[in-house]
Amino acid sequence: MAEFELDCMGEACPVPLMKTEKKMNTLSAGDVLVVHIDHSCAMKNVPEWARKQGYNVEVEEVDDGEWDVIIEK
Amino acid sequence: MSEPSTVRARPARKKKRNQLPIGILVFVIMIAIGLLLSLRSGQLGMFWLFGGCFGFILQKSRFCFTASLRDPCITGSTSITKAVLIAFAITTVGFTAIKYSAFAAGLPIPGQSYVMPVSLATVVGGVMFGVGMVIAGGCASGTLMRVGEGFAMQMLALVFFVIGSLWGAKDMGWWNLNVIAGAPRVFLPDVFGWFGALVIQLLIIGCLYVAADLWERKKLGTTDES
Amino acid sequence: MKQLWEKISKNRYYQMVFKNPFTYITGAVLLSITQIALFAYSGNPWGVSGTFANWGAWLYQLFGGSVEKWFYFSTSGAQATLDAGILSHTGTMLNVGIIFGALLATLLASQFKFKKIKSLKQVVAAVLGGLLMGYGARLAGGCNIGALYSGIASLSLSGWVFAAFLLVGAFIGSKLLAKFFM
Repeated sequence: MAEFELDCMGEACPVPLMKTEKKMNTLSAGDVLVVHIDHSCAMKNVPEWARKQGYNVEVEEVDDGEWDVIIEK
Repeated sequence: MSEPSTVRARPARKKKRNQLPIGILVFVIMIAIGLLLSLRSGQLGMFWLFGGCFGFILQKSRFCFTASLRDPCITGSTSITKAVLIAFAITTVGFTAIKYSAFAAGLPIPGQSYVMPVSLATVVGGVMFGVGMVIAGGCASGTLMRVGEGFAMQMLALVFFVIGSLWGAKDMGWWNLNVIAGAPRVFLPDVFGWFGALVIQLLIIGCLYVAADLWERKKLGTTDES
Repeated sequence: MKQLWEKISKNRYYQMVFKNPFTYITGAVLLSITQIALFAYSGNPWGVSGTFANWGAWLYQLFGGSVEKWFYFSTSGAQATLDAGILSHTGTMLNVGIIFGALLATLLASQFKFKKIKSLKQVVAAVLGGLLMGYGARLAGGCNIGALYSGIASLSLSGWVFAAFLLVGAFIGSKLLAKFFM
């Protein structure tokens, strides 16, 4: 039940999604990954991808144009 | 080693500044520019208005033609691909109605310059464009939209898009002479008739939609709930 | 005043229209309506990248270059457009309008942030990607909008051929991205 962080600030599409996918594969069930993003498209496609994988997802707007996507495997 | 799952305990946030007032200011400026352009010529004002609408819709829905072709290759997600296909279908119907009504009235069919010749240049151009848009993180409309969103990377990409366009335009003489000249411009109604072309195109779009859906199920293994 | 903005921010309908993103399908429908309206109004579908070639030409002229002899700008229509200047160019208004429309949407959602370039990789990607798109768009006669979206909607075979090879390009691009730019 560990928590990991992934910094995708300043990354352009689709890099945040690719990095998240890669990172999620190394996690074990129950782990939580917090992805920091500031790309408005990633704010939609990262959660969407994670939901389709069957993970629990939460998106939090932390500042103007910055989001945390919290994914629980 | 199980940590309690109080995962939400992160440092306190910065106070958010509400950008709504600036948004309203930009809206007023846009209206002012539109009015000024309309004084110059009504057409300029109209195109300004259309541009604003396209930009607003693209950003609001995060509509990305690049993603529609890229995501199936990367994650297997086809939700944008399917949305693009829906846009193709609706627009095809609308365009065909406009084109056909002109044709039926004996007028020249509008927009036929968009029926481009099919040649090796289309193939090479398509591959080049496909590689470029994935690397740069957005196609032409996507780059413009992201410039508006404040991405420095896409501002740079836009500058080189313009330079690349100039380069391409410079070489068009050669391409036209050696590759494009004599290539057919195929307008589907000329081949299948108006009704046939419409039906065939919609059928193809429908089949692609099903294929996209199946592709996603295969790659992601879950049902699409979004 | 501050309370007013806060109040608007919490309003249900504000959130529906301006704060939360639309679904992709909503976007598809709205774009289609706007596309058809533009075609009905102007007699030409939506195009984006052709304008970039004009911008390039004006920029080149600014530096003392001349494009008169180029085949691409050789028609009288293209020359007239170039002579009339950027402020009379409808395509420019459309493209700059897209930038402003996107800016407006971002600000009204209170989500604007200037995003700096993070690494050299991004510079290389933007330069290479931009050049490839620019050159490719001229060869194919347009971009994802003019050659693909408007091409297909105009019942043109070229749109479908372009689409097929775009997909090939996107596949190659994805591999390159994973290998070099991530």
